[in-house]
Amino acid sequence: MHSTLTNGKAINKRDVLRLAKERDVRFVRLSFVDILGINKSVSIPVAELERAIEGRVTFDGGSIDGFVRGEEADMRLLPDLATFAVYPWTNGGHNEARLICNIATADGEPFEGCPRTTLMRAIDDAADVATGLQSGLEVEFYLFDVGPGGAPTTASNDVGSYFDINESDRGELARTEIVTALEAMGLGVASSHHEHGAGQHEIDLRETGLLAASDALITLRTVAKHVAARHGLHATFMPKPAEHLAGSGVHVYFAFPRDAAEGEDVEDDDLGENALFAIGGLLEHAPAFTAICNPTVNSYKRLVAAWDAPIYTVWSHRSANSLVRVPSPEDARSRIEVRSADPSCNPYLAMSVLLASAAHGIRSHALPGDPLTGSTYELNDRERDRRRIKTLPKSLRQALVELEKDVVVRAALGDHIYLAFRDAKVAEYERYRRAVHPWEREAYLRVY
Amino acid sequence: MIDSAVMSNDELVEFAEGLARVASTGGGPKALAAHLGTLLDAAVLVEDAEWRHVALAGAAKRSVPPSSRDLISAAPKDGEGAVALQTPGDAAGGVAVRIRGGDSPLGWLSVFPNGSGAEGRLAAVRLAAAAIAVELSRDAGGGRNRRKSFWDRLISRAYDDPIEAKDDATARGISLAASYVAVAIEAEGLEETVAATKMGDLRRICLETLRSGSGDIVVLERGGGFVFLCPAPMEVDAANARTAATLIARTATKNHFGAKIVGGVGRPAEAIAAHRTVEEARESMFIARRLFGGSRVMPYEDLGVYPMLLRGGATSAELREVSDRILAPLRAYDEKHQTELIRTLRLYFDVGQNVKTAAAELSVHRHTVFYRLRQIAEISGHDLDSAHDQLTLRTAMAIDALNSHER
Repeated sequence: MHSTLTNGKAINKRDVLRLAKERDVRFVRLSFVDILGINKSVSIPVAELERAIEGRVTFDGGSIDGFVRGEEADMRLLPDLATFAVYPWTNGGHNEARLICNIATADGEPFEGCPRTTLMRAIDDAADVATGLQSGLEVEFYLFDVGPGGAPTTASNDVGSYFDINESDRGELARTEIVTALEAMGLGVASSHHEHGAGQHEIDLRETGLLAASDALITLRTVAKHVAARHGLHATFMPKPAEHLAGSGVHVYFAFPRDAAEGEDVEDDDLGENALFAIGGLLEHAPAFTAICNPTVNSYKRLVAAWDAPIYTVWSHRSANSLVRVPSPEDARSRIEVRSADPSCNPYLAMSVLLASAAHGIRSHALPGDPLTGSTYELNDRERDRRRIKTLPKSLRQALVELEKDVVVRAALGDHIYLAFRDAKVAEYERYRRAVHPWEREAYLRVY
Repeated sequence: MIDSAVMSNDELVEFAEGLARVASTGGGPKALAAHLGTLLDAAVLVEDAEWRHVALAGAAKRSVPPSSRDLISAAPKDGEGAVALQTPGDAAGGVAVRIRGGDSPLGWLSVFPNGSGAEGRLAAVRLAAAAIAVELSRDAGGGRNRRKSFWDRLISRAYDDPIEAKDDATARGISLAASYVAVAIEAEGLEETVAATKMGDLRRICLETLRSGSGDIVVLERGGGFVFLCPAPMEVDAANARTAATLIARTATKNHFGAKIVGGVGRPAEAIAAHRTVEEARESMFIARRLFGGSRVMPYEDLGVYPMLLRGGATSAELREVSDRILAPLRAYDEKHQTELIRTLRLYFDVGQNVKTAAAELSVHRHTVFYRLRQIAEISGHDLDSAHDQLTLRTAMAIDALNSHER
């Protein structure tokens, strides 16, 4: 998605203005996310595009969750020109494009509450050990029917499972259109298929830089909801929409370059050192980064011993329910797959904490123990103790406690984002704790 | 000439801590001299009170007299026990300090800088001399048991009782881990002129690669190399020590070490049985050198039946243990998934590794045989295309058949 022109040069202001004119763009959405990963945008007429590119468009940061509290503060939107893309649909008959923006303070300084800027800083911080690192995402989501009054349901007329093909299925048609739209916007899609649950789908995004991979998840969520609505469906990235359905996760792939000049045997099937140490770091910091990668109370209904969801800090070559899996090699790069995150995460923050954990592992030469063979669900307490395997948090509350204890993961977020995230999530958990849930009425109403 | 008062207090403290670390992990006068030589970029010579050679380090870049005796005799003393050394044609000069154990002279520590980089570090030379004095005093202390360090005694099976070993360790300020994994490492083809420096480099590379979060690594100088005892209180620590050891050769290449590294890793053993993991590490190193061409560090667990062949035989119980260990993952998989991997492997070998014939015998398609062979390789960790791994699997199958109750 991070565009270059056909001559290979990075895109510049003049190119964006020319492309907008060539594609008859009428409006441009200046897009950004809040700390919770919710997509926001400011729409401008194309006549304002030059001003926007120069970073002169401001918005009220005080009205965004987790930005600046209790006061009105102007924030600047600094568009990343490489993210310029025209939506493959019209809005009221007008062509519309978008630019993903970083957020700066009124005087132009990088805003420490901007998730995208946080990831850029994390990438800079890891440059000594993670140069050339790329990431690809496997994103799961559901396409459900829409009920009366347009309310989303958890019902689907689709009864397919893994890799099933049903050409008359509305979900199948919608997924195809989502992929087409993503490609039109410049995203690399490696594949897509039906997932385990009825109405559940997966789209696999090609490996790219970590910033572009995070941008891609934001784009995918936006495009999927838009296209699904046109098909009379509702796209949801909620991690566990119903108890009887498989949860939706985001599998984050990291591809490490291997360097023969550094003594690495690039023909060797074994993992390279950096990938091995990165696994060590990821397993070490997993309890802490879970709050960021699995940020809702609902996320923890997915992280249970079912449907191959990871629940322990385990790595493996074969086991589908390990936290980190090493896929079969397909080229000279070393790949690892982190399987715990879910699509409700803020991708910039999730990528920041995963990268910081991996980088810490590489710097400290953290070894991950032997890979596990077999299902992690069968590990008993004694086996986990011998391997020093930790259990992933079982609730958002527990995850926040783990996050607070981990200075590496907290440092990756920065104080501003950590504190705003913590406060928002403590409040969210408290609302959940006070709510009386249907299960409780079902279990207790008649009995007591 | 090395003068005083240039190193800061912090630098001196850091250096003293380094000396203590070297000594606490079993490093003797040679290792301490190498530590000083690295700091000063200098050759360091240690001689005892009878002018007998004790250790030489860092002599790769310059020539060093076989003894400092004549230089020290010819030099004026500076009042602090330090002697300025002037070697012919050497503008930088050197310094020697007396090594003392209380009032008793134990020897001399002579430093020959490679350039001007050693100036202002006399305090560091004195600290090193003090640390070496402790080692020389221990060696001169009399009594076989006291002469040997705790670790030497442990490895030579001097303790019958784990409690006795633990008490002795405690008395010497050593915190004994429940288990250890031994890593034996040697460098091949080192020229004598650079050997001392290179061995210091190798020691550093190994310690950095093996670094453990579970306690101090013990370093023992053995023959032309080292044995590292890595604390492994848990299964995961043993696994990490084994993995880290296999990275040593690659790390040495990255550090432009310039010589082949060969090594072996023993299986974890309780502290009282540390000799066993050391023996296994050294056996593994020998096998790696003879059968795998060196330039690698091989874990005992990956050597299949070779250790048995090296020892010239084994008891029935040992043979069964080897066979069970190699076949256990396949057997467990068969039991759990009701598969026929062991039977397929046996038949595959019985028919001379002919997939078509094996498929006919098993009444399955040959693609099924290929699939099962891939599973066997993944689950057992043995590559069926490797002659070494084939020998291991064939031998394990043969032992299993010979010990079967169905005779």
